[in-house]
Amino acid sequence: MHQVILDRLEEYLAGTPSSREFTAHLESCPECRTEVSEMQELSSAFGALRASEEIAPRSGFYARVAQRVEQQRPRSLASVFWLDPVFAKRVAFASLMTLAVLGSYLISRETQYSSGPPDPEAVMAQQAPTQDPDVMLATLASYEP
Amino acid sequence: MDYEHSQEGALVRRAQSGDEAAFREIVERYQSKVFSIIHGIIRQRNDVEDIAQQVFSKVYFSIRNFDFRSSLITWIYKITVNECFDYLRKKKVRKLVYESDLSEDEVRRVENTEPAVDRQVPVDQNLAQRDYVVKLLMRVSEEERTLLMLKEVEGRSVEELAEMTGMNENTIKVKLFRARQKLMKAAQRLDRTPVAG
Repeated sequence: MHQVILDRLEEYLAGTPSSREFTAHLESCPECRTEVSEMQELSSAFGALRASEEIAPRSGFYARVAQRVEQQRPRSLASVFWLDPVFAKRVAFASLMTLAVLGSYLISRETQYSSGPPDPEAVMAQQAPTQDPDVMLATLASYEP
Repeated sequence: MDYEHSQEGALVRRAQSGDEAAFREIVERYQSKVFSIIHGIIRQRNDVEDIAQQVFSKVYFSIRNFDFRSSLITWIYKITVNECFDYLRKKKVRKLVYESDLSEDEVRRVENTEPAVDRQVPVDQNLAQRDYVVKLLMRVSEEERTLLMLKEVEGRSVEELAEMTGMNENTIKVKLFRARQKLMKAAQRLDRTPVAG
């Protein structure tokens, strides 16, 4: 499309009387004429998007918008508890149960450790062969080469 | 006086700082306009209020991002048009899912008969034309769509568009010209697509 047409195209499509220069070019340039004609056809089709009747919002529209805003507002953790006490009670109960289970597990482990692991001497005494002198003497006395 | 320091600019700044009364004033000032834009595009009376609520909810959550480069109504207009086209796109997807057991040819036909009226059997000539334009507008960018709608549906002049958007008049002319060229190409493709007889 040539510049002379491009400059005045929007006015022409809006129905403003076109300049002599614009009309003269359109008459002499088949390429511009075809393009402008197609654009004019599409332009007129837009009329179908104009509302044919007024639709007024029902009363209380703002209240419904405010309600939707509240529904879509990102909720903080505190507001979740505040808005849903049943959910808050369930979370509290689950937390207590978890604490109880965890506590009893820790206490049982503590009891196991309180007897303490055997000290090294005790372990050696268990593992070493009998060192009782009487037993050793009896063993030697009964020794027959 | 620039827009930011106008009376409406002050109203927007109040809304940006969390003033609920200012937001309410914005809703009440533009609700009729928003309803009218939605009804023009959607034509489904029952869904108009739902979309309008969503538009103002978006306005509420995004008002802090409004930078005064365009007027408030231009910004709301853009949100409204986008919301309508999102609605139509979702509706089209739902329709395709519902008809997923159709043959490929049938699905192709459904894709080209958006959003609910078959071009061959127009219930109403105006509705068929509305569907045709909506289908074409889905092939251009959001910005081009808003400019075309403001120019063609709202009847705004290039000067007004420049003022509303903060762009200069030549930029508006070039953008509109490119958008119209895209529409023409989309129309040519659409007219070549076989439709059910």
